[in-house]
Amino acid sequence: MLLEVKDINVHYGKIAALKGISLEVNEGEIVSLIGANGAGKTTTLKTISGLRPLTSGKILFNGEDISKTPGHKRVIMGIGQAPEGRGVFPGMTVQENLLMGAYTRKDDLTKDLDEVYGLFPRLAERRSQFGGTMSGGEQQMIAIGRALMTKPKVVLLDEPSMGLAPMLIAQIFSIIKEINSRGTTVLLVEQNAQQALKLSDRAYVLETGRVVKSAPGKDLLNDPSVREAYLGGH
Amino acid sequence: MLQDFLNQILPSTVGGLVIGSIYALVALGYTMVYGVLRLINFAHSEIFMIGTFASLVLLTAIAPAAPATFGIAMIGTLLLCMVVSAIASGGAAVLLETVAYRPLRKRGATKLAALISAIGASIFLQELFALEIIPWLTDKPGRNQASAPRFVPRDELFHIGNAAVRLDHVIVIIAAVLVMIALDQTVSKTRIGRGIRATAQDPEAAVLMGVSIDNIVRVTFLLGGAMAGVAGALYLMEIENTVFNVGFVLGIKAFTAAVLGGIGNLRGALLGGIVLGLIENWGAIFLGSQWKDVIAFTVLVIVLMFRPTGILGESLQRARA
Repeated sequence: MLLEVKDINVHYGKIAALKGISLEVNEGEIVSLIGANGAGKTTTLKTISGLRPLTSGKILFNGEDISKTPGHKRVIMGIGQAPEGRGVFPGMTVQENLLMGAYTRKDDLTKDLDEVYGLFPRLAERRSQFGGTMSGGEQQMIAIGRALMTKPKVVLLDEPSMGLAPMLIAQIFSIIKEINSRGTTVLLVEQNAQQALKLSDRAYVLETGRVVKSAPGKDLLNDPSVREAYLGGH
Repeated sequence: MLQDFLNQILPSTVGGLVIGSIYALVALGYTMVYGVLRLINFAHSEIFMIGTFASLVLLTAIAPAAPATFGIAMIGTLLLCMVVSAIASGGAAVLLETVAYRPLRKRGATKLAALISAIGASIFLQELFALEIIPWLTDKPGRNQASAPRFVPRDELFHIGNAAVRLDHVIVIIAAVLVMIALDQTVSKTRIGRGIRATAQDPEAAVLMGVSIDNIVRVTFLLGGAMAGVAGALYLMEIENTVFNVGFVLGIKAFTAAVLGGIGNLRGALLGGIVLGLIENWGAIFLGSQWKDVIAFTVLVIVLMFRPTGILGESLQRARA
């Protein structure tokens, strides 16, 4: 198992954001977390990448306990993330943003850079434009491309479709599939449950800081209660 | 009145550029720390003070009776002063961060708590130097002004109109510009510089790139402190005396310069320092030099009314430098 989250609790001050969440991600899978606003999806990702401290519980990566490992070291171990709100460096060019993903690496980057530009030809056209001046979809491409530049074993994607036009959403989802088929495990957080479930090997449904359901993506697509709550009810 | 102004404008400009260069060097430390931590490091003025004393101790030790002449020895002494002061101030800044700011940050204290800690550290350092360290360094009461031996001659190199430009003026301006170019290149071209910019623009995203915020903060204090140290060395060479609270007004002026130029922006600090130095010297022609501080802060208020983000109006988040 690549990533194992065991009964984690996370607090913001006195408020419990995660109340005993457990989940597993196997190598090569696409796993989704779906749920309403405030269910704890983003917090779960941030806790896995080390941006939020645990109150209790454990996170194992490749069998190793990383619960106390600082976030910047988890990147080196192989956990990449495209964060909520994209987190593009506005004062850096597209290329500088992508190179930030390789901040800890000392090997040759040309091949990886070419690969990212291959996935996102739009970024190749605009490599010397400042990140802050790009559109939402382009910024999302930067965020995903930058996460890939860290050479992750698992990439955590936080709402990659948020605020994008339908055509762009379809494009982003097909790129996620492509990334996965090239060998990177994906843990995806989405409000766009329909699309996410179609793509996923497995998915977890979160409600107010707890996992209320977990099953293969296709099963959840046909699950009446999930359809009712997250897929518009029909 | 107009005749006075015409007579004095050029000499005042030279004086303004000299003191403005020193403001600019000190302003860099405020602006860098603000860019990375959103913290006004009020104790930065004491980091500058430590730089002046590091050079004072060095000069007293190596040049007690040497005549001030231009030559290899003078240049060597100058460089040594700058290096020693940069090390002393840079080291003190790192220590300050470790003791006064880091523990608060780790416990998630508010920015306001960090600001109070900064003011406390400023007063603590002033009094520590006045009560213990300066008497120990100079064998004189800690609140007295301490004078430094002259090692750079006041030779007039050339005239611009009726303004005499002396060797010491040229040294301050050239040294400040060279050091600032080095810093600018470090921040824009090196790996650690990219880490600093990334942290200033989005600290969480920086962590996700593998940037250690703790390291970046330490380096930022080190670089900003070293700049203040170089400023301290140049100040001592130019003014030839220092005192435990030398940093107080100068520090506030340098902070003003940083805000004037656009806080968080390295080139803004340079611009703000020079503009502030010039304006207070020009204003003094009309009102007398006792009005310098009033002029400086009046200008700050006026500029901020019309351009709240400072002259360059952008911060380290957006600026390339």
